[in-house]
Amino acid sequence: MSQQPKRKKDGGSEEMTGREKKKVRMAEARTIPVQSVGAGSSSQAGPSKVVPMNSLAGLPSAIDIEKVVESRAFEIGAMQTAMKTASAGSTQRAWQALPRHLRRRAASHDVRRVPQRLRGRALAEMDALPVKKKKLPQRGKSKQETRTESFLRRQKDKTWLETHVWHSKRMIMEDMWGYRLAVKPTEKAYRPSHRASVQGAIIHDASYYSLVELRGAPETIIGTLNLCCDPQGPSPGALRFLNGTRTYETHAYEPGSYPLGLIAPLSIFWQPATTSTDTKGKGKETDASALDSQTNDRAIWLRYHPAVHQQMLSALQKAASTYLARKKEEGIESVEIQICDLKDQINVFEIMGPQASQVIRGVLNAVPGDPREEFKQFWSSLADVQTSGSVPRNLVVGFKVLDPRLRFPPKRAKPKPGKPITTHHIFPKETLARSDIWDEKVRLGLARPKFTKQELDDRRAKNVVPGTPLNPQRQDDRVPVLLIQRSLEASRTAGGHPIHGWTLIVPSGWGMAFWSSLVFTGTRIAGQRERQTQAYEAGTTYFPRDYPFTDAYNQFSKQREEKLKEKWDRKPPAKKPNFEKLKVDDPWTPNWNKVLGTEAEKDKAEEGDLVPAQREPESERSAVKPWLLRGLKMADIVEKVAASKSPEECLLSEVNKLRVARSLEQLPATRTQELLQGALINVKVNVCKRGLPQDLGLIYSLEDEEVPRAMASIMRKGDPEDEDEDEFNGISTENALIGRITTGNYSLSIGSGYAVGAVPLARWLALLKQQPEAEKNKASSTISPLVKIRNTNSDQCRLAKLEVLVEGDA
Amino acid sequence: MVRFKNRWLLVELIPLPQTHTTSPVTSSISRPRTPANNNNLDGKTIWAALRQSVLTHFGDVGWGAVAPSLTIKYFSPTTSVAIIRVSREHHKIAWAALTLLSSIDGVRYIPHVVHLSGTIKHAQLAAIEHNRVVIARFRALSKSAPGTRDSYDAFLEKSGLEIEALQD
Repeated sequence: MSQQPKRKKDGGSEEMTGREKKKVRMAEARTIPVQSVGAGSSSQAGPSKVVPMNSLAGLPSAIDIEKVVESRAFEIGAMQTAMKTASAGSTQRAWQALPRHLRRRAASHDVRRVPQRLRGRALAEMDALPVKKKKLPQRGKSKQETRTESFLRRQKDKTWLETHVWHSKRMIMEDMWGYRLAVKPTEKAYRPSHRASVQGAIIHDASYYSLVELRGAPETIIGTLNLCCDPQGPSPGALRFLNGTRTYETHAYEPGSYPLGLIAPLSIFWQPATTSTDTKGKGKETDASALDSQTNDRAIWLRYHPAVHQQMLSALQKAASTYLARKKEEGIESVEIQICDLKDQINVFEIMGPQASQVIRGVLNAVPGDPREEFKQFWSSLADVQTSGSVPRNLVVGFKVLDPRLRFPPKRAKPKPGKPITTHHIFPKETLARSDIWDEKVRLGLARPKFTKQELDDRRAKNVVPGTPLNPQRQDDRVPVLLIQRSLEASRTAGGHPIHGWTLIVPSGWGMAFWSSLVFTGTRIAGQRERQTQAYEAGTTYFPRDYPFTDAYNQFSKQREEKLKEKWDRKPPAKKPNFEKLKVDDPWTPNWNKVLGTEAEKDKAEEGDLVPAQREPESERSAVKPWLLRGLKMADIVEKVAASKSPEECLLSEVNKLRVARSLEQLPATRTQELLQGALINVKVNVCKRGLPQDLGLIYSLEDEEVPRAMASIMRKGDPEDEDEDEFNGISTENALIGRITTGNYSLSIGSGYAVGAVPLARWLALLKQQPEAEKNKASSTISPLVKIRNTNSDQCRLAKLEVLVEGDA
Repeated sequence: MVRFKNRWLLVELIPLPQTHTTSPVTSSISRPRTPANNNNLDGKTIWAALRQSVLTHFGDVGWGAVAPSLTIKYFSPTTSVAIIRVSREHHKIAWAALTLLSSIDGVRYIPHVVHLSGTIKHAQLAAIEHNRVVIARFRALSKSAPGTRDSYDAFLEKSGLEIEALQD
């Protein structure tokens, strides 16, 4: 392997310039090799046609044929190689022959960034190095800023994840919520990432999610959480969650203000009752667990979005103090609860896609001495599982694995076809869910891996047969991990296909060890954009984008507004949509007051109008607080409200029922009108035929006369050209606006435009009434009223069907 | 930007055997198609012969038109296949001169133009096709038992696949 050419250019110009080298290279590429003539033998091997005057010559002998064929075959080969080299020689660099994910920016000037087999070629293609001016040595190595120091300096105002350096070389990064996170890959990967999430596997580093631990008596914890969790689902203390075998996906509200103070989605899981003793049956218990078993204290982990970190913590504290105050009134004194913020103690990886199970099976190797029968069964059937959706929802599995670097490079497990599917034997069991990762001492003890990569590589070099994986030694770390099943799905009616996968929780310090192995199996990497796309393609809502009126949504909306407005201001008037002409007053952030119909009078006043000098009583107008009606039972509630004669009272009674179930006091009856007026529901918007819905699009209701025409038009199966696109353009009344789209795009899994939007409950009820009689008799969850949608940048209206969006498996 | 358009001629120069010295029968048994001295044939001699032909049949005007772009890009003595490049406007002059070229250095040849194309890539593809046809013809002529396959089967199959991949 030739060394790098010497940097000095002075001595003799034998070295050609880059241009000359390129010329020589191109000339060489374009010449067609000619078969050399053997000495002594005749050069002619026979012409193509037997000239007629040689017909007496007779048949050619075998030797002649061989010679002829040999020469012709050589020529064929020469032509083919000439064609190949001609196309490749002049226009391609050495590293352009590599697939996109192996190309490196520095390959153009640094030969080491090109794989070994191409290095010679790359070196030949490069220009001679420019002469670098030698810097005077700095004052002492100890005074130089080390690499670590420079990294730490950059982390003063934000936090880096453990896998940051890896991501920064391959993804576009952005500051979000106090972290530096990957938004999307640098190469174009929207469709491959979608394909990976529905056919392959795609991984996302979600270690930025906040984690809080509550410790205390189970009743205390349940009581506290009941005050701030969603009353529509089961209580966090339900038996199926209490033994720690399943995760509970719920939402958090400000304590006492259901249904108004929605904070964020929340993921809860309990620690199984006693700590695990699954390491070779030694039966050792740590001090903490001994204490627990004596005092009946349990631990519970809550995971939620980092945007609402402070808000959630204060809500939990408020709920805890409310609960403790209540207990004090009842006379019970010795009630305590601990709330610990476990930031930076674990790493979380979300692996989605049908092949996620095979990836996990290939990368993790469970410690052999696990005595649990259920775990053995689970682990052996994991390789053959078609998708993690076959496993019970939100299942928690805890076990110990060996250092993944011992068996580097890993391979994905191959599912064996024809094997009987044993996944229906996997039930959530408490023994299955136990893991040492709950134990803080264990976590801190593992904070630094015992062996560095260098030491492991040295060990590997000592192998007799190169390439054999390392055998685990006694000093090697055994890492406790948690595996949680994760599904993105919405209710089963039209729109989206569920995406299933696994969440892998490992202790901190082990992020890069696991990440390198996971990524080596060929799994795609998801940034924030891919994560949002997964939720969208599954048809479900994404926090905070589709949750109007939460604090996180307001923040997100404001940032988006600033960005869009700035972009719009920069453009010249001919190149941007004229929102005044299109009659859109709120093109960058939806004005929900207008949608809900609660716009205050003074907001509607135009400039130049006289504003009344006397202040009118404000209390009436501002009493309408907007809120998002959501939850597992939402479809039932909406149906009841639709069917009742007095919808406001029905809604109020439903809400009060839920509040009472969680020992909250009922809402006063004076608030009925505002409750219904301020309610918003998430809807799915399926575009009927053509059309692409975009974010912030407007949803209009059809006029009563238009409804039968619209229904006929979507049933028509004529030529697309015969259709009148502009048939439903034109908004007649002010009241036609019934909602806004929060996320809109072309859905790759559905094959047409799809959007998630929000519509006031009152307008939804009116829409149901607008349906023709035949439809009204169906259950309201199956009615899909027709509406018109239009994007903010055009006046083209498209027909679409609305449907109530219920999360989870309805 | 003016594009210089060319035409590429794929020519096979079929040598006529020298039958004036030996009798047809005896010569046919030993080396039926090997003329006496072919080793000195190369691109330069062909070019010179072509030049002479153009001058003879089209004069100085013809040569002046064709000369700047006339190049022998490839020539193989073993198969007598040549690829000649001419500019597009005057390619017919060169082609005609080539057809009327009857002998080079005293040795008689029949120029057989196999293909005319606008790019060298298609000329190369045509050369491959031509060679495959020739090989097939020879093998058919040899009438050897169907079981005997020489060493070129695999190669021909491979090259066949490559051609299919290269075809647009």
